[in-house]
Amino acid sequence: MILLAFVLVALLTLLGIGISSTHGRMNTACILHAFLYILLAGYVLLFQQVPVSSFLIGSQFFFMDHFGLYEVLIASVIFTCAAVYARGYVESLLGSRELEKGSLRLFYASWTLLLFVLVLAFFSDNLALFWIFAELTTILSAMLVAILSARENIDAAIKYIFIASASMLFSFVGLIFLFETSRTVLGAGTLNWTVLMQHATAFPAGMMVAAFALVFIGFAAKSGIFPFHTWLPEAHAKAPSAVSAVLSAVLLNVGMYGIIRVWAIVHQTPAAATIALVMGLFGFFTVGIAAFSMLPQKNIKKMIAFSSVENMGFLLIGTAVSTPVAIFWVIFHIMAHAFTKAGLFFSAGILHRQYRSRLASDAVDDIRDVFQYQPFAAWGIIIGGLAIIGTPFFPAFFSEVFILIQLGGVSLPALLLLLALLFIAAASLGYFVMTSFSRVSAPGTPMEIEPYATPLTMKIPVLFLLALIICLGILFTGQEISFFDQIVRELMFA
Amino acid sequence: MIDTAILQGIVKILFVCVIITAAYIITTRNLLSLVSVYALQSLTLAFLALALWFLESDPVLLAIAGITVVSKVLLIPYFIATVQERIRIKRDIEFHFISPTSSLIVSMALMLVVYIALTRILRGTPARDNLFFFGAVLGISLMLMGMMVMLSRKRAITKVLGFLSMENGVLLFGMFVTELPFIIEFLIIIDLIILVLLTTILTIGIDSTLEDYQKRLHRFHLWEGPGEGP
Repeated sequence: MILLAFVLVALLTLLGIGISSTHGRMNTACILHAFLYILLAGYVLLFQQVPVSSFLIGSQFFFMDHFGLYEVLIASVIFTCAAVYARGYVESLLGSRELEKGSLRLFYASWTLLLFVLVLAFFSDNLALFWIFAELTTILSAMLVAILSARENIDAAIKYIFIASASMLFSFVGLIFLFETSRTVLGAGTLNWTVLMQHATAFPAGMMVAAFALVFIGFAAKSGIFPFHTWLPEAHAKAPSAVSAVLSAVLLNVGMYGIIRVWAIVHQTPAAATIALVMGLFGFFTVGIAAFSMLPQKNIKKMIAFSSVENMGFLLIGTAVSTPVAIFWVIFHIMAHAFTKAGLFFSAGILHRQYRSRLASDAVDDIRDVFQYQPFAAWGIIIGGLAIIGTPFFPAFFSEVFILIQLGGVSLPALLLLLALLFIAAASLGYFVMTSFSRVSAPGTPMEIEPYATPLTMKIPVLFLLALIICLGILFTGQEISFFDQIVRELMFA
Repeated sequence: MIDTAILQGIVKILFVCVIITAAYIITTRNLLSLVSVYALQSLTLAFLALALWFLESDPVLLAIAGITVVSKVLLIPYFIATVQERIRIKRDIEFHFISPTSSLIVSMALMLVVYIALTRILRGTPARDNLFFFGAVLGISLMLMGMMVMLSRKRAITKVLGFLSMENGVLLFGMFVTELPFIIEFLIIIDLIILVLLTTILTIGIDSTLEDYQKRLHRFHLWEGPGEGP
């Protein structure tokens, strides 16, 4: 029944956006929407018997287990922050006429629908249903990228749609293979994840390799894994920053979520060893490409976007290792990456507002006197940057260390290679931040540009997320551990 | 009931029609006929579903034929044709990477590869007759050919047609390999329609020869290049 509450909230929000006439009201509706989702997901987690099975009796289309709830919680937190942030940010876009007033309703409607569809995707038991919702998230988020209706944005959105959707078609063929396998083995075909999990050990290896390879193509494209990552930096860099944060922190998770779910099935079959190797290789290529693309990068949002590619590659390597500990930390890293990355994009958005005439999304950034103009955003980038490269006592540090240790158990050269690549990525991020933030005009020269008065609503989400990641890094309660253990058990890696 | 042998003959003829339409989509430079050929291809698929329905009498196939006709023979081609009129492009003569002739040769090679790969993969599943196996091979090949269209064409609107042709391949494959629940097929069509709506509206922006579009862009800070516009 609880799923109906999610549907109802989304419908009410859409209605609210439909009847409200001002930007403030539409924005408030979106904030409330995401916040209510946090409450709902929290309620299910604390007071209900998880996994909750579907309310549609007899046809298992939806279910809620710990993993799905976890992803929904991350998504709702990010969306709440991003909606608060959008209040100031979109206002400023309207002010500079980069966003037309007429598109406002479309923007917030897509925003609401995106969160709604994401939640449905994470609660889908049927893999084909998950596929459809994942596909819809592509379309809706591409709409949010294209909303600025500058040619560049449309280019990026079209590229995103074509690469992601065409790859997702391969995924669908993979799902058909999976369906056919289950029909051969079980008698009646099914794509229900829970059923497939129960019978996975009986599936033949050859079919499984083919099915996983095809499914992997689509979900890899969605999460920006090499060689399908090409859409990602452009879409993330050109989207409005509130949208970039959502794209990077939530939408990439959809692909990862799909890969982990299907991997949980395939992991139990004899095909596991082959596929783990292939996945690991793709992970290494992804991290490598991202690290070396970050090296010469001169654009702050592209830099952060490539860092997302790097983190997705890292997650893929962790998934390929697939020991219980590795999976535990992969799942933790999803959260660490999401919160940190959203904070980074928010800070970058403030800088983008400040230097917008100079920050064309392809051009070299010309950030000057940043501590004079935007000290808050500068510190946001510095602390967020430290967190994302895995400085000790930030959450990403723990997940990276433990995944690296687990990788070392599999192969020592791989561990060293990954360490080197992570170091290159971290160094290039650090170098970029140091050079661009230390660039100052000669003393005595008058200020060339107006300082952008950052509204409070754009600062609060950054502060909140920074506080959150610091807390997550320092506090690690027993409940948290048992929660993650529960996810690993439900995915049958332990 | 119609005789099974005749039906199988019909299915084979329809297979040939699918290949012809796919080859045409790869090679043609005329945008208007591209859309009608796509509609024809979808119609062929609808007939295939009908023929399969006579063979297997599974009501899902009938429903698939129905929604295919409504969405892919009527709705989507009509919409794309309207958009094409708006952007006033009739021909797409630019190709990336490979020319039409070589892409035809490549697609023949692809079919062979798909045939060999599927023979190996489907070995474990219960023996189906040749017809179903060929349907599967053709489905995947159609999909790969659609992907080649997406790769080799420059115009976004042609890429949309390549994508649609890919999706037809998936439908064909799904029809012959297994029977999916109808609700899934239906949702895919909905998804497809939204996707086509969005991409074609966006392509008006990219492929457009209208000047006002370019003028609007100059207002934004995001695009300040000189008039090297669309």
